[in-house]
Amino acid sequence: MTDYPALENEIRKHAREWLESGAVKYVVGYERGAYSTIARPGIFYKPEDVERLIWDPTCVNNLTKILVEEIQYKPKRGEEPDLRPVGIVVKPCDSKTIIELIKENIVPRERVKIIGAISLGSINPDKLEKAVQSIPAGKLKNLKIVQEGEDFVVKYDGGELKVPRDGVLNDKCKVCKNHNPVIHDVFIGTKVEHHEQDDYDDLKEIEAMSEDERYQYWKEQLSRCVRCYACRDTCPLCYCVECVFDKTKPFNWNEKTVDLPENFFYHMVRAMHLAGRCIDCGECERACPMDIPIRKLNRILLKQAKERFKIYPGMNIEDDVMFGSYDTDDPGEGIW
Amino acid sequence: MTESSEQKWEPRIIGFLCNWCSYTGADLAGVSRIQYPANIRIIKVMCSGRVNPQFVLKAFQEGADGVLVSGCHPGDCHYIEGNYHARRKLTLLKDLLEFMGVDSSRFQMSWVSASEGQKFAEVVSKFTDQIKQLGPQVKLSEEGLE
Repeated sequence: MTDYPALENEIRKHAREWLESGAVKYVVGYERGAYSTIARPGIFYKPEDVERLIWDPTCVNNLTKILVEEIQYKPKRGEEPDLRPVGIVVKPCDSKTIIELIKENIVPRERVKIIGAISLGSINPDKLEKAVQSIPAGKLKNLKIVQEGEDFVVKYDGGELKVPRDGVLNDKCKVCKNHNPVIHDVFIGTKVEHHEQDDYDDLKEIEAMSEDERYQYWKEQLSRCVRCYACRDTCPLCYCVECVFDKTKPFNWNEKTVDLPENFFYHMVRAMHLAGRCIDCGECERACPMDIPIRKLNRILLKQAKERFKIYPGMNIEDDVMFGSYDTDDPGEGIW
Repeated sequence: MTESSEQKWEPRIIGFLCNWCSYTGADLAGVSRIQYPANIRIIKVMCSGRVNPQFVLKAFQEGADGVLVSGCHPGDCHYIEGNYHARRKLTLLKDLLEFMGVDSSRFQMSWVSASEGQKFAEVVSKFTDQIKQLGPQVKLSEEGLE
């Protein structure tokens, strides 16, 4: 089973079951929102709410951040917290985030019930907007996007438009070879076979540049950063109650001034903090208002973690945390 | 006040040395009167595993021309495994510096034991020469500032 309407029905069925039996507090999923080009995160409390739940290629958000907020919630004095598990609908990339959160003891496994659905690629909302420019906005209200073969078909009021895959697919989906959820209580869809490894082609262009060219590239990109911290706020793995970039005592690690040295510091430290943990869900780059290629920073360390230390974040709960473990045979070439 | 025209740029190098091996090794170099360039400013840490990548980046941001982190040889850490953790963190930091085009050769790690006074002097001499060739570090400290 790989077509979206069938997957959607299956997901709704399970969500409804869990809500009817009271097995979960609420279910976090996707619903149609104000924008036809991207699904809106939705919380479903009652079985009848599940009518609003959708599953299609516009479901882009990584919803797992809500698990962190749920676990870190401090009940008010006298309030009895509801400790039932939270139901969540996840794509394969999001399921890897849940594995990381469980691995790092942030989310206990029993507090989350996972509906893991296969993914055949999600759509970049900006690119989709360009692709459907010719259709008057009023007709896009009850949009339905399905996949036919490799391409997408946008069904709107009064017609349909075929949209070629490469034109609208998210960049992260182009390099992902992991189309099955790695952790689930329920598996939605038929397992998708794949064999190749991600070979980090998107980084090759930068790696081929000379040192000064690389610096000029990053100077150009990071000069645009306004330090809105959207990347940090949207990242599910940035769960520190007090972030190092907010600390002012005993001194400011990172001044609030927005200049190039501070921007370099911010992005490099954030990349180091996510090294071996980031599973490339792409939310940081999607959230960035200045279109900074943040994924490249995270991916270079993801690549090096795989090559040097054989660390594969987000694949197995039993794995070691990268900076919390070591191998006596870790490569150390270049150390005098 | 005018600066003397004779004053040449001298690199400023920050060295994070682990207490039990490298710092003691450096001390031995001193006691043995082994000469090495005075450009290095030493910060003693109890273990190389204490060195947070942020320390290195902060040093560069504040204008350091080079940063050296030195610890016990693998297998000889006073705290058993600290230097292994340092190796993991700091090798990845070096990869990141390289990717950003920020002169990754300005950051160097070394293993110097407590008896290797001579080696410490050699490491510092070699590193100081390397930094002298590269010139002042501006990419992470002054670039972009008016």
